[in-house]
Amino acid sequence: MDAARSGTIRRRLLLILLGPLTLLLSLGIVLDYSAGMAPLQAAFDQALVNETLAIAAQLRPDAAGAIQFDLPQQAIDVLRSDKDDTVYYLVQDASGATLGGDAGLPVAGHAGANPAFRDAQFAGHSVRAASYRVNTTAGTATITVAETTRKRLHARRRMLTTIILSDLVQLAGILATVWLGVRIGLRPLLSLRTQIDSRSARDLAPLDETQVPGEVQPLTRALNRLFATVRATAQGQLQFLANAAHQLRTPMAGLQTQIELLIQDPAAAQLRGPLTGMLNGTRRLGHTANQLLALARAEPTAAAAVDFRELDLRGIAEEVVARQFETALQRHIDLGVEAAHARVNGSGWLLRELLDNLVDNALAYTPAEGRVTVRCGVDDGAAGHAFLEVEDDGPGIAPELRARVVERFYRPPGTPGEGCGLGLAIVDEIARAHHAALRIDDGAHHTGTRVRITFGVA
Amino acid sequence: MRILIIEDDALVADGMRRGLSQSGFAVDHVTSAELAEAALTQENFDLLLVDLGLPGADGFDLIKRLRRGGNAAPVLIVTARDALADRVSALDLGADDYLVKPFALPELAARCRALIRRSKSSSNSDLSIGALRLDISRRETKVHARPVDLTRREWAILECLALHAGQVVAKDRLQQAISSWEDGITTNAVEVYISRLRGKLGDDVAIRTVRGLGYRLDESAA
Repeated sequence: MDAARSGTIRRRLLLILLGPLTLLLSLGIVLDYSAGMAPLQAAFDQALVNETLAIAAQLRPDAAGAIQFDLPQQAIDVLRSDKDDTVYYLVQDASGATLGGDAGLPVAGHAGANPAFRDAQFAGHSVRAASYRVNTTAGTATITVAETTRKRLHARRRMLTTIILSDLVQLAGILATVWLGVRIGLRPLLSLRTQIDSRSARDLAPLDETQVPGEVQPLTRALNRLFATVRATAQGQLQFLANAAHQLRTPMAGLQTQIELLIQDPAAAQLRGPLTGMLNGTRRLGHTANQLLALARAEPTAAAAVDFRELDLRGIAEEVVARQFETALQRHIDLGVEAAHARVNGSGWLLRELLDNLVDNALAYTPAEGRVTVRCGVDDGAAGHAFLEVEDDGPGIAPELRARVVERFYRPPGTPGEGCGLGLAIVDEIARAHHAALRIDDGAHHTGTRVRITFGVA
Repeated sequence: MRILIIEDDALVADGMRRGLSQSGFAVDHVTSAELAEAALTQENFDLLLVDLGLPGADGFDLIKRLRRGGNAAPVLIVTARDALADRVSALDLGADDYLVKPFALPELAARCRALIRRSKSSSNSDLSIGALRLDISRRETKVHARPVDLTRREWAILECLALHAGQVVAKDRLQQAISSWEDGITTNAVEVYISRLRGKLGDDVAIRTVRGLGYRLDESAA
């Protein structure tokens, strides 16, 4: 899966939740604001109305029965006193004639028994005006009181700030809770990931299904089913190969021993030439069959069922050299070992097969009186990788052919002997199964071949 | 020397029987584990050649039952299976050696001789490897009937090699064989004794050096 594109579940959940949450909280701000502003406006308006009522109390009929408005300067000062806003007032009679106050002050609509309100401009300021019609014994008068909106704007700004701040704190709190919740909720998934990450590629044991939440159980169950299938396939493959080996080797053993007996039989003395050819052919057939089986068993599908355990390369090197010593002796090749302890996790049987093939090759292509040395140990690098190598002083492999010789059935042109071209392919396959790298170099003094298997680098 | 072959494939069994007969063994052949057990109650054999993939009870079962019944005859497994698991379990069960098919007849005969020699060395004090004769109880050595005088350490090393003739014996192991007399013996000391042994035994006895590993005493010096 492309982690960069699909992202983590945590990031996705947070991104999905962030949009709607922000929208909801913005809506909350608008609602809070309008819900808070209405009573505030009403309170300020009520204050204006109270002032109109205070003025109304000062209206009196004069001697002629007309409405008389006479406010002492002291009262006017009280009326106009406001630390933030400027207060205007206007008193008109029924005909609209000004009885007192600030002439030209806008009147709020058709003022009736209930006060009317209006937003307007007066003397270069935005004002809020309240008008109230009073019926006195002398007739009807309209009282308008207006004030600039500085106080209102101030209150509105403060309320808005408070609402936005508190809603932002809420948003942050919710997001933090969601983030934490997602984190805690996803913990079983992370532990599943760790469980999968930490196992080796060869580990086909089932995952622990009890530690994962119900939503993920189908996934682990599917994985476990897959593991079981791969395991069964690998075991089936190994079983098939064991049967194939048995079916091939038994008749070949019969054929080979019968030909050997015929060669020794004096009655068949005249046939010794062709019989020897048959024996060689049978041996090659046996060798090729063994190599094909070894290659098939080293392949990932079958190798998955092979048991890996910690083992010492030294034991394998010494065992293979002891076993191949007879062949080396017959070919007059000095076969030796320089083995240091080197522990690797691997299959002893596959590694023996690997080393057998390397030594087989070295013995086959090194001329008589040559020298073949098997080495193992831990290399000098900082990481100290275990290695296994075979060096000979034979003709060597040309650098341009080194990549090709590990191909199946490839033999460099002009190669002597009866090999089938599978040896290094088997070596390569087994090395891969052990996460080891194969490297072909010149031997010492730029002659011969050195094949080195370095563990833990691939 | 009597050998019992337990092998269900007629062609292989016939080849083994005739080949081993030519090498001087008396050979009998049965085709199943059940018949083998019946034969073993009648007669004694010096060596059993057991195929693992038998009809009915397989080779593993046979070896298990024989060992449980107290039969100590050496067992050489001759089989087409070569997986490590087979090898380990067969040797754990009490098989003595393992040969994978197809094999060369001289190899089979050499393995048979080595196994019989090793099993006899505990009961019989004579060891014979090619031209070499060892009398274990008297500590006498002869090459082609010519007596050879050996020191105690030379004898200890030769005895160890002779008991495992045809097999590579690690230098460490030879060193252990002589270290009971002397502390701080180095592996160089082993080289010195081997060189003296070669001088005393002559060219008819082949002690091969396996560079970096140890030595091997061979049946034939050729």
